[in-house]
Amino acid sequence: MWEKVISYVPHWQVFMQGFLAFLIPFLIFKLFNGFLLVKKNNGKIDIKEQANQSEKVHKPIQKTLEQFTGNYNVDLAQMRKEIGHNWDVHFREFHIGNTGNRAAIVFLKGLCDKELIDKHILTSLMNCHTENPTIIKGYELQQLIKNEVLPVSDLREESNVMKSVGRVLTGATVLIVDGITSVFIIGTAHGKTRNLEEPISEALVRGPRVGFTEKLSVNTSLLRQHGENQHLSIIQMEVGERSKKELVIAYIDEIVEPNLVQEVKKRIEKINLDDVAESGYIEQLIEDNYLSPFTQVQSTERPDRVIAALMEGRVAIILDGTPFALIVPVTFNMLLQSPEDYYERWLPSSLIRLLRYLAAGITLFGPSLYIAFVSFHQGLIPTKLALSMMGTRQGVPFPALIEALIMEVAIEILREAGLRLPKPIGLTMGIVGGLVIGEAAVQAGIVSPIMVIVVALTAISSFAIPQYNAGITLRMLRFIAMFSAALFGLYGIILFFLFLCSHLVKLKSFGVPYVSPTVPYRAGDWKDFMVRMPLKMMKHRPRLLKPKDTIRKGD
Amino acid sequence: MKRKHRYVRFFLLILVSLPLTGCWSSKEIEDLGLIVGTSLDLETGDVSSEEQQDARYANRDLLTITNQLITSETTVSGTKEGSLPEKAYKNVSETSDAVLPTLRNMLLKIDKRSFAEHSKVIIIGEELASTINLKQSLDFFLRELEIRPSGLLLIAQNRASQALETNEPTKIPAFQLVEMMEGHERTTKILPPMTIAKLEGKLYSNSSFLLQNVTAEDGEVKFAGAAVIDGKTKKLRGFLNEGDLEGNAWITGDGKGGLVKGFDEQSGSPIVYEIISMKSKIVPHVDGDQISFTVKIQSEGRIAEHWVLLDKASDNRFLKKAEKVFEKEIERLVKNTLEKTQHEFQTDVSGFGTKLRIHYPKVWQKIKKDWDQTFSEVPITCEVDVTIKDYGTSGD
Repeated sequence: MWEKVISYVPHWQVFMQGFLAFLIPFLIFKLFNGFLLVKKNNGKIDIKEQANQSEKVHKPIQKTLEQFTGNYNVDLAQMRKEIGHNWDVHFREFHIGNTGNRAAIVFLKGLCDKELIDKHILTSLMNCHTENPTIIKGYELQQLIKNEVLPVSDLREESNVMKSVGRVLTGATVLIVDGITSVFIIGTAHGKTRNLEEPISEALVRGPRVGFTEKLSVNTSLLRQHGENQHLSIIQMEVGERSKKELVIAYIDEIVEPNLVQEVKKRIEKINLDDVAESGYIEQLIEDNYLSPFTQVQSTERPDRVIAALMEGRVAIILDGTPFALIVPVTFNMLLQSPEDYYERWLPSSLIRLLRYLAAGITLFGPSLYIAFVSFHQGLIPTKLALSMMGTRQGVPFPALIEALIMEVAIEILREAGLRLPKPIGLTMGIVGGLVIGEAAVQAGIVSPIMVIVVALTAISSFAIPQYNAGITLRMLRFIAMFSAALFGLYGIILFFLFLCSHLVKLKSFGVPYVSPTVPYRAGDWKDFMVRMPLKMMKHRPRLLKPKDTIRKGD
Repeated sequence: MKRKHRYVRFFLLILVSLPLTGCWSSKEIEDLGLIVGTSLDLETGDVSSEEQQDARYANRDLLTITNQLITSETTVSGTKEGSLPEKAYKNVSETSDAVLPTLRNMLLKIDKRSFAEHSKVIIIGEELASTINLKQSLDFFLRELEIRPSGLLLIAQNRASQALETNEPTKIPAFQLVEMMEGHERTTKILPPMTIAKLEGKLYSNSSFLLQNVTAEDGEVKFAGAAVIDGKTKKLRGFLNEGDLEGNAWITGDGKGGLVKGFDEQSGSPIVYEIISMKSKIVPHVDGDQISFTVKIQSEGRIAEHWVLLDKASDNRFLKKAEKVFEKEIERLVKNTLEKTQHEFQTDVSGFGTKLRIHYPKVWQKIKKDWDQTFSEVPITCEVDVTIKDYGTSGD
């Protein structure tokens, strides 16, 4: 009996293989972790050094926190000392009406509303006539100007020199009056903004033709304009050490999970940079995994998209000076969805969504499947097609991988070049490039016609993905898929796919699993995943975000 | 920083070791020679090969294998400026005493890597089929991984390699055979295709069966009846002609369409019946030791053509008369076929044995050893019921 049992015990080689199959991934994992640890340590040191440096920088500024004296000459001199050397700063001195008090306004050329200054500020001040002009001074004058003379809504008093300098630089007008120990700050900021236009990167057939602009107040007002909602919170924060920029976090406090807001605030506070030029900086600094090829923060120009995300319990981050708002947390399916899916009826939009998933699949695996079939699994091609492929590849000097690489790289160059060129030239280039790649390359015998079809299909598919950066991610991964197909055929493609899946499953965006609702599986959330169910059926908000209020109101 | 560099080095090591495998077992499609058809023949005349002189090979049968290859040079699009290649295929022959050694010897003659996953048809010569057990000669094809079980098996009257030749240089004979086979739905004169997968079952079940027969003369290939394979010896017993095949189709009810031609009794003009559906039922009767069968055939169809001037197709009396004519004609076909299979070849190719096994398993156990022998003496009666459903768009 024992002999029989022993005969079923595998040979030592099997144990060895099992051991190695455990050890090798384990070692790789350990190595990777060690690598991350080293990185982290380096990062910590950097932060400390930066903190020391920033303290040094801050000190001289703190010294000059001085108050206005009330002496006109001294105060004016102080202002001149701080910002007078700038070409665009204007000082205009005058007398206030018949009181004879000297006064000056300081403003920035270009940023201020000149008409407001000329018509309402200067005119009112110069023309003000009181009954006993000589007595009025100091506090009384201040009250007079505030209550009777200046017909402007945005008027504040400020006694700190540095703060008022800061206000001038952002477009306010500072009024210095002799004998008053503070200055008036008049809100005259009138920055150049462009009109509300439809965002070019996210055009829709149906939907509002409005996009964010570079001005934060316009952007937040767009959110407010969407509808009266007292629970829409727009919280102000500041980023950038040297050049400070305004940033707001928007969420709906009745819906959003409070921890999520805390986490977003925490991550933004940690940003320690001289200058945050665009919301892309923030995106890269707050994302969970900087080594992942997938975008973990969604950027959008569309206010309706932001509102829809807020209604699901997400948080939006809007930075001054850029039309791109950020939405967190992000799941993979969001990258393949468009606001139009909800505006159109559910059947067409469900089909279009499925089409996008198909397009994503083609983008990722199109050329690699071609390579695998042509150089490994010819038996899987239908016979007639195999014959014509054989014929067309006759005389092509390269193996399938090189052929595919040539074409794919060429089309990527074409895309990149066409993107930067002015429109008319870009169009010409598209035609010329298309002709060269399509016709001439085949005629010259460099590639086969079927390869051209595969490449064209892949390129078109990648543009069918509504998020531009998601399309780039897939196009990037496509090259890895091509290499693994060239190494091991279909087996390699499957290995690559499994590798990708294991990465995606582990990836999280602000604590939310990236590929949910697939993993972890939530049947309820599938109603708005690959297909979009009728609106009547989607009564619940996505559960993965743990919203406070799970039911969309009204039925 | 040193530590970090070490990790990077490890990463590179793993990364670099991956491409070391190269393109493992990759073979470009244009370097392949697709084998689309194979023929097997028995070599008779003097073969003065070296192997023949080896003592071990004395008195052995030699095989000639012809492979039909398609390479990138023979395809139309492979040649520049669309000029047609001289031939769309390339036949390569080689002779030896077993299948695989012959195929390997073939490598000495061709520049492409031969690839059999697109193999469509295997043709066996008459002589080979009647001298060597099919189980032996086809063993390699049943065993080999690269050969798909969807390939067809045909028997060729005279030399099989001739069936892979054609007068039309742009056509590929192997594909032509397959496409002709697919047309079997509109005639009962062609057998349903016998694939390698189906063949395997037939070979192991000891029952006799039919294989489609082709004749090839001067590059013209034609389907001509069927070859009868004996269930015990797995060798070719003889041929049925097209008429016999029609009768067989009526017995088994396998046909999906086709024609029956009858003659009007009064005028002698032909009437043609197009089959819409055919059904048959073989009913075995056992009475003591006496076994008999009744074949019940039911068919629906339409009058496709009639040359009788006196009668109108819309006339019910004429239809009744025509039905009778067709019933007689079908009965005649069935009788002819049974005459041949029962008495001339003494093999059961129409599945009578199977029915007996299902209905009377105990009786079958007793007689299954010599079933073909018993079958030749069994009385078989035939009942035919033809219904004419319509007469087309003309009432005349």
